Amino acid sequence: MTKILFSDKLDNCVERWKSAGLTVIGPVQRANISTYAAVEHAAELDLGLILTDRSIKDLFFPQSEPMLRYTIKKESIDTDECLPPSGPRIIFGARPCDSSGMAIDDPLFGWDYKDEYWFQRRNESVIVTIACTKADDFCMCTSLKMAPDSSKGSDVLLRPLAGGKGWVVEEVTDRGREAFKTITDILQESSDTAAPLAVVEKKFDLDSCVTWLQNPENFESRFWKEISMRCIGCASCTFLCPTCHCFDIQDEGDTYTGIRRKNWDSCSFALFTMHTSGHNPRSTQSARWRQRIMHKFNYFPGKFSVNSCSGCGRCSRQCPVDMGITETLQEISKLSQ
Amino acid sequence: MSIEEQYRTRAKELLSGGAVKMVIGYGKGSTSDRRRPLFISSTDEVDRLVLDDACIQNLSGYLVSEGLLSDEKRVAVFLRPEGIRAINILAAESQLDAEQIVIFGFDVIGTEVKALKGIHVEEFSDVINSIKKGAPEAKEEELFEKIEKMSPQERFSFWQEEFAKCIKCYACRQACPMCYCRRCIVDSNQPQWVNTSSHTLGNFEWNIVRAFHLSGRCVECGNCDRACPVNIPLRLINHRMAEEVLGAFDHFAGMSKTQEPVLASFKKDDSETFIL
Ligand code: SF4
Ligand code: SF4
Ligand code: SF4
Ligand code: SF4
Ligand code: SF4
Repeated sequence: MTKILFSDKLDNCVERWKSAGLTVIGPVQRANISTYAAVEHAAELDLGLILTDRSIKDLFFPQSEPMLRYTIKKESIDTDECLPPSGPRIIFGARPCDSSGMAIDDPLFGWDYKDEYWFQRRNESVIVTIACTKADDFCMCTSLKMAPDSSKGSDVLLRPLAGGKGWVVEEVTDRGREAFKTITDILQESSDTAAPLAVVEKKFDLDSCVTWLQNPENFESRFWKEISMRCIGCASCTFLCPTCHCFDIQDEGDTYTGIRRKNWDSCSFALFTMHTSGHNPRSTQSARWRQRIMHKFNYFPGKFSVNSCSGCGRCSRQCPVDMGITETLQEISKLSQ
Repeated sequence: MSIEEQYRTRAKELLSGGAVKMVIGYGKGSTSDRRRPLFISSTDEVDRLVLDDACIQNLSGYLVSEGLLSDEKRVAVFLRPEGIRAINILAAESQLDAEQIVIFGFDVIGTEVKALKGIHVEEFSDVINSIKKGAPEAKEEELFEKIEKMSPQERFSFWQEEFAKCIKCYACRQACPMCYCRRCIVDSNQPQWVNTSSHTLGNFEWNIVRAFHLSGRCVECGNCDRACPVNIPLRLINHRMAEEVLGAFDHFAGMSKTQEPVLASFKKDDSETFIL
């Protein structure tokens, strides 16, 4: 016997969570794009998507956020710190690659300085992940040693029942158990079993890619230029990526008063490494693409023992010139044989 | 012989004789419906070139990236009529020497691929002329009509909702052959003309800058619209601006390599007493 949450009871759960003071967030369609947003009713959720266009990162690390307001006076500078809006929330219907992406970034945001913008949101969020029964050509969790039912980064993992009737509930963390206490009476014991998971073919051998990347001789390989010639240097791949975390700090305002903001930045941009002198150590797009791959599969794991990629495939799905991590690692995998 | 085969043969001839150093065309993509830009510099790779109705990207922007043409050698490129117009603009704006560009022209009517005759950009003026004639009707689209009928307030709300989605990834800019500035105004920080933040104001600023900088220059190839990861219908803005410029100045972008840029040139007898 397993604990089941039936789909037709989901709206009761949403009600229950709302009355318990939680903001309920989930995948929705808004203005011709799928994204995560707060909802009032279960009917607003689009739980049939393979994956939202925008990643869950938006909820923890928004594209632009105020850090402080300042006023420069004759003798002093007044500052007024802006902390992220607080309040507990439950994110219902994330995919395993999104949820695990947040866990991948935890050590980064907590490394030499504990980023309170990130952790306040992390600590106040319950992530309820739904395992995948569908995948597309770009999904690649299995290549990253994860699976369509990985529970990494999730507080609760739901496994869909056949026919979309509901989900088998698997509580993963105490925070998840706590949030599901409010709906214990809505859950039912049943012998229904979960539907088969999506079949996600393994696309490359990660270990051999990592070994190739770690070899200093390959840093100057011709491969980088060949693979990235068509890259146009936008930030589509990094901004949609759940694990890309680079940001820039900018002051906006006039000479005396303004606001300091934390904005997404991307290693795909030429400006990312441009010095004030005009010299750019990553002066070509191939050097920038190499950085993206090296960072994700060499530098980041070197420091935090985990790859900075959850295999969601958004970078390849959305690239305007049909590039992406998948192809690059497939080619590296071949080179390393 | 199919056009694909004809063009492969031509590519082989040009590369083996050293007439061009590279052919920029299309190759197979990661899924059956995708094509991707392909850069061919040796004859044994020529057979990877694909030409069919899925070849939609305007490839002309690659010609002005990272000094490709600086050695004065010729480069061949697969172009639809919009791409050919882009070559005219780039030449008119002194970004490239049209002599260096060998064109593999093609157009897609329905699903049929048609070869366009010519090699150099000036040989395609008939094609461009006929597009100009058909221009006002060509882009009819339900959404466009709907927006035209809106009140200014409704239109503002529509674009506000659309621009709210913008993440300032600049894929629209990077995908555009006309956005070749080494230092885009939004990247300039001394002074900082435009907010870098991707909030409501910043997104409006960026999208308005883009609309204006491309007025009278956009060839409506659709690269920007297709590149936008959050599906902002950028084509509607481009088309509206193109209509304005056509109506006000009888200017259709990319007619010839000597056409004066409409917003960057003035005449003594201009009806306006000022320049922007
Ligand atoms: S790989 Fe694609 S999405 Fe990423 S920067 Fe290059 S062109 Fe843009
Ligand atoms: S690198 Fe690509 S596949 Fe990996 S997490 Fe980022 S967007 Fe997803
Ligand atoms: S360096 Fe590049 S790949 Fe790494 S997190 Fe930053 S933007 Fe993403
Ligand atoms: S603005 Fe868009 S449609 Fe116009 S030329 Fe640039 S990429 Fe093409
Ligand atoms: S491509 Fe779309 S999201 Fe990116 S900057 Fe342009 S309008 Fe904004």
